[in-house]
Amino acid sequence: MEWIEIFDLSIFRSLLRSTAPIAIVGMAAAMCSAAGVLNIGLEGKMLNAAFAGVYASYTFESVWAGFTAGIIAGLLTAALFGLLSFTLGADEVLAGLAINIFALAGTTYLMRTIFGQAGFFSDPRIVGFEPISVPFLRGTFLEPFLSDFTYSVYLMFVLAILLHTVYYRTRLGTAIRATGENPEAAEDAGINTVRIKWMVTVFSGLLAGISGIFLSLENLTMFTEGMSAGKGYIGLVASSFGNNTPFGTFGASLFFGLGDAIGIRLQGVYELDSRLILMIPYALTVVVLILIGIRQRLRVRPVPINESSIE
Amino acid sequence: MEKFSFKDVLVTFAGLLITAFIAWVLISATGNNPSEVALYLYEGGFKGTRNIANSLYQATPLILTAVATLISFRVGMFNIGINGSMYVGALYAGWAGYKFTTLGHFTHVTVCILIGMLVGAAWMLLPALLRVYAGVSEIISTIILNFVAVLFVSYMANGPFRADPIAPATPRILETAELKQIFPNSQFNTGFFIAVFVAILAHFVLNKTTFGYELRSGGDGLVGMYPSRFSSYLGIPSDRSAIIGMLISGALGGLAGAIEVLGAVRYFFQELEFNQGFDGILIGILGKLEPIGSVIASLFYGAIKNGGFYVDYKTDVSREIIIVLISILIFFVSAQKMVKGLEKYPFIKKLDNFFSRKKM
Repeated sequence: MEWIEIFDLSIFRSLLRSTAPIAIVGMAAAMCSAAGVLNIGLEGKMLNAAFAGVYASYTFESVWAGFTAGIIAGLLTAALFGLLSFTLGADEVLAGLAINIFALAGTTYLMRTIFGQAGFFSDPRIVGFEPISVPFLRGTFLEPFLSDFTYSVYLMFVLAILLHTVYYRTRLGTAIRATGENPEAAEDAGINTVRIKWMVTVFSGLLAGISGIFLSLENLTMFTEGMSAGKGYIGLVASSFGNNTPFGTFGASLFFGLGDAIGIRLQGVYELDSRLILMIPYALTVVVLILIGIRQRLRVRPVPINESSIE
Repeated sequence: MEKFSFKDVLVTFAGLLITAFIAWVLISATGNNPSEVALYLYEGGFKGTRNIANSLYQATPLILTAVATLISFRVGMFNIGINGSMYVGALYAGWAGYKFTTLGHFTHVTVCILIGMLVGAAWMLLPALLRVYAGVSEIISTIILNFVAVLFVSYMANGPFRADPIAPATPRILETAELKQIFPNSQFNTGFFIAVFVAILAHFVLNKTTFGYELRSGGDGLVGMYPSRFSSYLGIPSDRSAIIGMLISGALGGLAGAIEVLGAVRYFFQELEFNQGFDGILIGILGKLEPIGSVIASLFYGAIKNGGFYVDYKTDVSREIIIVLISILIFFVSAQKMVKGLEKYPFIKKLDNFFSRKKM
């Protein structure tokens, strides 16, 4: 059983590392989807934040400058999405797509024009995040499993719990879910649905921004053209697979992270074509989409009264 | 989607002006001379036979991907995966181009194109079925399939279809499979006429035939919504038209890829990069999801794209600026409330009525 050997401590750590960006952006997607906003533009937000983070970190030689800039970029992109789709009446999908194309071309343009580099930009001046050792884990048996990660991994756990609480324990969470499930009823109950949608959009910009910054400033301190590589979309699939709940999304993200981690590991053990390894996350996503489809087919769908009475 | 109107034209042009202004700021901010860039953009796009031919060559796949986009959008499906169809279509058209050695010129080209279209359509089958029978968003599945397509063709060009031991590329296609290039020093080829023909055909089928009406009834009036119940009231199976629309859309994506390989590059290699699938979405929206409008928008886009290459070559401004600007333009065009807001001016309303009556 040679393949059993790849499941060891390092694959566990690699699993958490790969899960973090997908889980964080996935929770942003879950918030949006729960409020009935199909936020395709997460990908663009991540990318803009990743670039802004690298740019500010390079300019000020400080990782926190990069962090701030990345968050601002994520929020601004989210505001653009909100402005287009809620205030100016553009179709959400079109607005999201235009933002993604804009972000991909825009960051590539800026990188080529400002840094004069094509493909990727890396420089010793870019400061990245350092791993942090968790004080209360020191000396315990959990230390090799959970200590010495960068912020994203811890943030992912905190977010899942925090969002779960907000979702099911606060009025705001109820308002968000009501907006997604039945906007008219929510309006009748005195919930300002447009404001809720704006709120989740801005919040998703924040999370997507953070996720993007960790892409470019965590393990590899560099920016690559199109470096988000579909993580925003995978986050959307994860949230959909997890029924748009924080814990569900987290679980689905772990699944994607596991695929990633096994892929990285296989690359070291076997002589596999790197393209096939790179394909793993996307192939997994397609598999998950098919699973979602099967689940939706099996689910007994209640027929709304007004619909059945018309037909 | 509302009928094409004067308001839209007005907003598009106003958007163009504002976008041009943003471009001016953006280019100056990165330390370049905007008027110089504008001059090169014009020269690269329109000056001399060669540049015009190249602009038309750039427009060729864009026309097809834009028509592919609008067909899928108008049956109520958001097909973002045309780029993926293009890749697989290009790969298999290239494969057919060197595999069949005994065919005549016309037959060989036809076979290659048909194989490209078939593969492109097949690529869209899974998202279409998932959407219609299981309610899985076709937007996400097609986007993800784009990523799969890029890696898949790159794997095939490296592995099974690889001919050259040094470079990861397929064999060159045979001369019988080539679409002829007409002008010297330009990749403009007869594929352009195929693309224009397809666009005109799409115009007639969509607007003048029962089949086109059945297709449209699934999506028109509700672009972005899922196949509307309106069509089932008319007794039209909207599921079927949604699937057919997706397949046609994929086939046209495959055709765009096939023409690129048969007419311009002549073999498939790993670094071959397509963006036209995504550009086609922007163009389709710019052209108000009408085939003729899309052809006009494609010609415009092709010209500035070619101009963009020239700008890239002559100055420090990179060619991505063009895509940045077009996506900013899309922000303006897609803002429906801005278009509607124009209605309160009587003068514009009058013009609008005048032009829409003329169109009827």
